Amino acid sequence: MRAVVFDGVVLGLQFGLLGVGLTLVYGLGGVLNLAHGQLAVLGAIVAALRIDAGASTIAAVLTGLAVAGFVGLALDLTLMRPVYRRVGEDRVLLGLLLMLGVAFIIDGVLEWRYPIEALSLRIGGDPVDILGVRMRTGSLLASAIAVGVGVVLVVFLRYATVGKAVRSVIQDEEGAQLCGVSPATVRAFVFALSGVLAALVAVTRSMTSPVNVNAGIDFTILALIVAVVGGLGSVSGAFLAGVLLGIVNTVSAHYIGTYITTIVLLAAAAVTIVARPSGLLGAGRE
Amino acid sequence: MRRSATVGRAGTSPVRAYAPIVVTGALVALLPLRYGDSRAMMGVVIGGVLFAAYAVGFNVIFGSTGQLFLCTGALAGLGGYASAILSDRHGIPMVLSMVLAALVAAIAGGLLSWIAVSRSLGVIFTGIVTLAFSLSFQNLLLGQRDLTGGETGLVVDAGSDTFLGEQVAPFYVFVGLVMAYLALYRALQRSHVGWAFRALRDDEIAAELAGVDVKRYRVFAGTLGSGMIGLAGALYAHSERFISPSTFSFGEVDVLVIVMLAFGGIGSLLGPVVGAAAFTVLEEWMVSFNEYRLIVYGAVILALFLFFPRGVVPSVQSLAQRLRRRLGRPASPTAAAGERRADAPGPAASPVGPDVVGSEEVRAGGATPPE
Amino acid sequence: MLEIAELSAGYLGEDIIHEVSLAVSEGEAVAVIGSNGAGKTTLFRTVCGLLRASQGTVTFDGRRIAGGRAHDTARRGLAYVPAARHLFPEMTVTENLDLGAYPKRPQPARRALVHDLFPRLAERRRQRAGTLSGGEQQMLAVGRALMSNPRMLLLDEPTTGLAPKLAADAYAALEALRRHGLTVLVAEQQVPLALGFAERGYVLENGRIQLQGTSAELAQDPGVQRAYLGIA
Repeated sequence: MRAVVFDGVVLGLQFGLLGVGLTLVYGLGGVLNLAHGQLAVLGAIVAALRIDAGASTIAAVLTGLAVAGFVGLALDLTLMRPVYRRVGEDRVLLGLLLMLGVAFIIDGVLEWRYPIEALSLRIGGDPVDILGVRMRTGSLLASAIAVGVGVVLVVFLRYATVGKAVRSVIQDEEGAQLCGVSPATVRAFVFALSGVLAALVAVTRSMTSPVNVNAGIDFTILALIVAVVGGLGSVSGAFLAGVLLGIVNTVSAHYIGTYITTIVLLAAAAVTIVARPSGLLGAGRE
Repeated sequence: MRRSATVGRAGTSPVRAYAPIVVTGALVALLPLRYGDSRAMMGVVIGGVLFAAYAVGFNVIFGSTGQLFLCTGALAGLGGYASAILSDRHGIPMVLSMVLAALVAAIAGGLLSWIAVSRSLGVIFTGIVTLAFSLSFQNLLLGQRDLTGGETGLVVDAGSDTFLGEQVAPFYVFVGLVMAYLALYRALQRSHVGWAFRALRDDEIAAELAGVDVKRYRVFAGTLGSGMIGLAGALYAHSERFISPSTFSFGEVDVLVIVMLAFGGIGSLLGPVVGAAAFTVLEEWMVSFNEYRLIVYGAVILALFLFFPRGVVPSVQSLAQRLRRRLGRPASPTAAAGERRADAPGPAASPVGPDVVGSEEVRAGGATPPE
Repeated sequence: MLEIAELSAGYLGEDIIHEVSLAVSEGEAVAVIGSNGAGKTTLFRTVCGLLRASQGTVTFDGRRIAGGRAHDTARRGLAYVPAARHLFPEMTVTENLDLGAYPKRPQPARRALVHDLFPRLAERRRQRAGTLSGGEQQMLAVGRALMSNPRMLLLDEPTTGLAPKLAADAYAALEALRRHGLTVLVAEQQVPLALGFAERGYVLENGRIQLQGTSAELAQDPGVQRAYLGIA
């Protein structure tokens, strides 16, 4: 049982990292990035292609992250302009639908050009004993990265000037403008960052199991569930929800079955929305 | 300028109101003359009409009351699987099974609506909850192999010995269904229900103040639309005689329905038909370009919602009217009204909402309901 | 310093203010008085760039202010304290104040100034802004605007929700700031306070400037007396 829970935590930390990008982008502008998973896969496939071409793992991974971040930035600067010009439900609806279109395009391009490509990073080393449970180095590294990045993010948002500027836009966009914060700049920055974070999760996932071109949708749905349960707009909420849902995932998959597990996770999101829409921690709280 | 809620079209004669439906039906009914020989082509044509039916149901839910239901496929699947299981496993007569299945779908949709309105869920949360429902249903179908046949699907026996099992006959049944749906939609538009829909779409708070029970009308729309979708799914199960989870998945159904309606004009009467026709043709044309399918659909979605927020058809309509004006031709009453509709909305026009629900003949008036 | 010419603006295609013209010179204290719905907030939001004008211009320091670039205006030295305050509820008082100085670093001298003007804020440094009382939130909003060392302050009904003593204190604080060279344009429903503080004033009614003059002139005007001072 302990091994299952540990697996759940490892998975959950990555779930959290996956949800963070999505939740930040939504908190900032009401845009639900339905192409989040595709950005992750894009980064992974680029890295895989670089490795195939002979680049070192580190260089390949960095390239993948950079591409994902760059595409995120490009999307914000182009497609999101008409979206941000609208307000309220209009904005939400348009953003959702446009990102759906983008998701299809990225998926389509990847599946058309590189249908069999996949990213799989083998991390050498013997399994390590943590609290009596054997853990592969791949899982350990993935968890370490997720935790490390998470901590850096929370610290950044809580204490750095730019980080506070980001939170200010989430908490009160007009107030932020009056303080001299440019919401457009903040959004562009965070959109790019969310792309990098998404790709990073694809990379860490690939340390335990291969990530192939059609993983995009699953990633997006996972990110969505985690972000909703954690509270749209909250980074620590996403991590908390991620870990909880990760444990639920592995425990349920182990004892019950995969299909029910997916239903349970989806139900968690639905129940959160109905019972406590602000999620576990609510927006803006770091 | 703020649009006023429109008065019902009590003044237009029923003949004029329903004529477009009859004409469309007559035109569509001619299709078997061209394609009746090919089983494959009839399959495609029936698919197109099926999606038109889905789209009308979705129009009732989203076009009339703005509820973003991302579970059209699941509702159709509820109808399809419920009817198949009731008739095959429990020996219930096919027609009764279909009705019961439609009821099941209606209740599911009504429940989703009710949850959304009682918790005041906005567009995003309604979308997420319905999406969660859709995905859960998909997983349920895959997981409960004993009941549903899982991934391999279900062969539907009931009805295979009736005319539904033939090549061309089911087509007419579907056409009849769509025409009935359209007639229902038109009747709603002309009634106080349609007035209430337009009012609450226009300005929810003003509608409440005018006495419209927004919650009740939303749940009503959700229930009715879902029932329509479920019935269509049930009918399809018996005519196609085979269903599987992928028949009703989000990617197979929901995306297409949304795009079809957006193309044809959300909230318009014939939008679903126009959209279904356009995209059935597109799908057929793309069979040879299967690798590009996703990319094309992605691009279509972007183009549609960026440039034609009211739908391609209404935009073309108003463009045509503007040209006609400029050429000095007297505009027909419908055209004039359409023109007013095109000019009327201010910056508040939503990107994907109807300007005025389902109107070819709009009269701007006071916010008084028809007697 | 601030010139508003023939400004019209509104929401959803309908203008709320019509052809408003207004000017404030450096170092002045000017009031805009009017009742609820007269358009004061719409006017101020357009001036600071939160709302796009449908017609007319706003010029600050010789440069045009365009709609939609409110953060630029803030950085150029025009600070707006909105009636709705727009504070950051999950952040502490200090964090709110510090953000006021963005993008520059918060100067200890400015912080000290704000703490002097509003001792209550100093006491509640670590408290979350969302948990402050109405009056304290108002003070925080003003303090935050001051952190950027603005050349001009736009205040929209700064005394809403303040007890009379606090309202008087607030205006006393503004007086003190004026002596340091701050230019102030304030919108007020509480006309005696406004006229007591400002040198000049404009009367805004139904979105139009109906009257303008020195405070003394306005106070004598029978229309003003009837409508705003309760003198029949």
